[in-house]
Amino acid sequence: MSTRTHYPLTPEQEASLPAVNVDDLLAALKYYVDEDFAHLWIKDHAVCAQCQAKPCLDFCPVGVYRLDRQGKVMVGYQACVECGSCRVGCPFLNIGWSLPRGGYGVAYKFG
Amino acid sequence: MPDKLTFDAIVVGAGPAGVSAAITLARGGLKVILIERGRFAGAKNFFGGVLYTHALADVLPDFWERKPPFERPVTEQGYWFLSPDSVLRVMHKSQHYQKEPADAYTALRASFDAWFAQQAVAQGALLVTKTTVTECLRDERGRVIGVRTDRPDGDVYAPIVILSEGVNNLLTQKLGLARTDLPPRFVALSVKELIGLPAKEVEARFGLSGANQGVAIDLFGDATLGLPGTAFLYTDRQAVSIGVGLLLEEFVYHKLRPYEVLARFKNHPVIKPYLEGGESLEYGAHLIPEVGYDRMPALAGDGVLVAGDAAGMVDALHREGTNLAMTAGRLAAETALEAHRQGDFTGEFLRQYRRKLEASFVLKDLKQYRRMTDFLDSSPHFMRTYVDYLNDAALRYFTAHGVPKRDMENEIFGMLFQRRSFFGVARDMLKLLQGMRG
Repeated sequence: MSTRTHYPLTPEQEASLPAVNVDDLLAALKYYVDEDFAHLWIKDHAVCAQCQAKPCLDFCPVGVYRLDRQGKVMVGYQACVECGSCRVGCPFLNIGWSLPRGGYGVAYKFG
Repeated sequence: MPDKLTFDAIVVGAGPAGVSAAITLARGGLKVILIERGRFAGAKNFFGGVLYTHALADVLPDFWERKPPFERPVTEQGYWFLSPDSVLRVMHKSQHYQKEPADAYTALRASFDAWFAQQAVAQGALLVTKTTVTECLRDERGRVIGVRTDRPDGDVYAPIVILSEGVNNLLTQKLGLARTDLPPRFVALSVKELIGLPAKEVEARFGLSGANQGVAIDLFGDATLGLPGTAFLYTDRQAVSIGVGLLLEEFVYHKLRPYEVLARFKNHPVIKPYLEGGESLEYGAHLIPEVGYDRMPALAGDGVLVAGDAAGMVDALHREGTNLAMTAGRLAAETALEAHRQGDFTGEFLRQYRRKLEASFVLKDLKQYRRMTDFLDSSPHFMRTYVDYLNDAALRYFTAHGVPKRDMENEIFGMLFQRRSFFGVARDMLKLLQGMRG
């Protein structure tokens, strides 16, 4: 993906990242969930099975992507804040992304 | 079959660019529809954030009388260079910032954008919310003639469409105006948390004399683990906005969780006291297009103009975006008004929009900083090396050791070249200068 030199994080930096339960952060967010239309989806689960890094599990700012017990990527689109990171950040561009239907999805109270 | 729903102009998205366009079009006497997918204008909008009144005044000269819901005027601003255990502050506070209306205000978008969109309605624009535009309608020659929405019988027609759809510019891409989706190394992912505190607490902690003062701080260094990115700390009326943004590629490469980077920043010994006891009111995330001047989409096509984040109009260095968007929305609308007068909606005619932008600060600034993202891209060590050095040098400078000052000065220079070779420093400074000068 990139030709840039990345400087790996030091072990001290890695250790300095506190564990956060993202669901606690989402509790204050207001959503209008569209039960009839998942606006995010995995295009091909075989591609995810091949993907070693699975960065979506980490970089999604609201933890939409999680593994089930079989190690398959699950999409919790209900928590999505529609930022777009997964669409362009997936190394295999394997995430289908569309806007929720009008009026659905996140509704920021403050923004 | 109902009659074709026809307007003089369609604006997609009620953010700063779209609302500015709608106000300008309606005031110019056009029948304009402003289509917004959120439940209200602002429901989907999220930023740091600071708003600038110069661009707002160009759109709405009497904005101040219309009582915009700002949070606090920015009366003190600057940079904090954060190392893991220290901070070097370069702050500017001045009585010159103390005026009404001020040059810049902190704001929250759910209330500001809703207010701003109401100004468009007051000028005669039709605001339609809860409606997602799914594609642009084109005639047999490929000219844009309207939009399709997700409402039943939801096709809307107009000779000109202004796309102010935001950073996820799928419509702009579908038209071929943007040739690619956002590259992860030229888009930042920012997360922000709003921490509620009583106004008195906000003022005491940031040294403010009342609701007529506020602070905007941008931070470099340890807030982003030394990776290319920035963090911010802004005061709101009864809250503090704290956030951190990194190029998306950094999150992907390092497998970082944005909320952990934010939590780490909030826990920093320098930052923590400002937030202590506060209540988490809201958390959110947004992409910031840092594609720069050379990777922007085409701004005009037959029957269509693009403005704001959708066109990559962000000056990340100065954390400006909404003012570029407002100015671009206004200039797009002025171009549309001219197109109506001439009856010419060809891409060739509409290209005067780009010329207007080239003559304004919008494209002048983007052009000047066209190499800034490349600079960050090619110098990923920059934040860590120099921010840590500045703090170590300050510590040495401010500590009395009974050592002659000349030795202390030599020691401070030596500390720099221990971290980076003389030629490395020279090359970094040259690249930084090139990034700043364009």
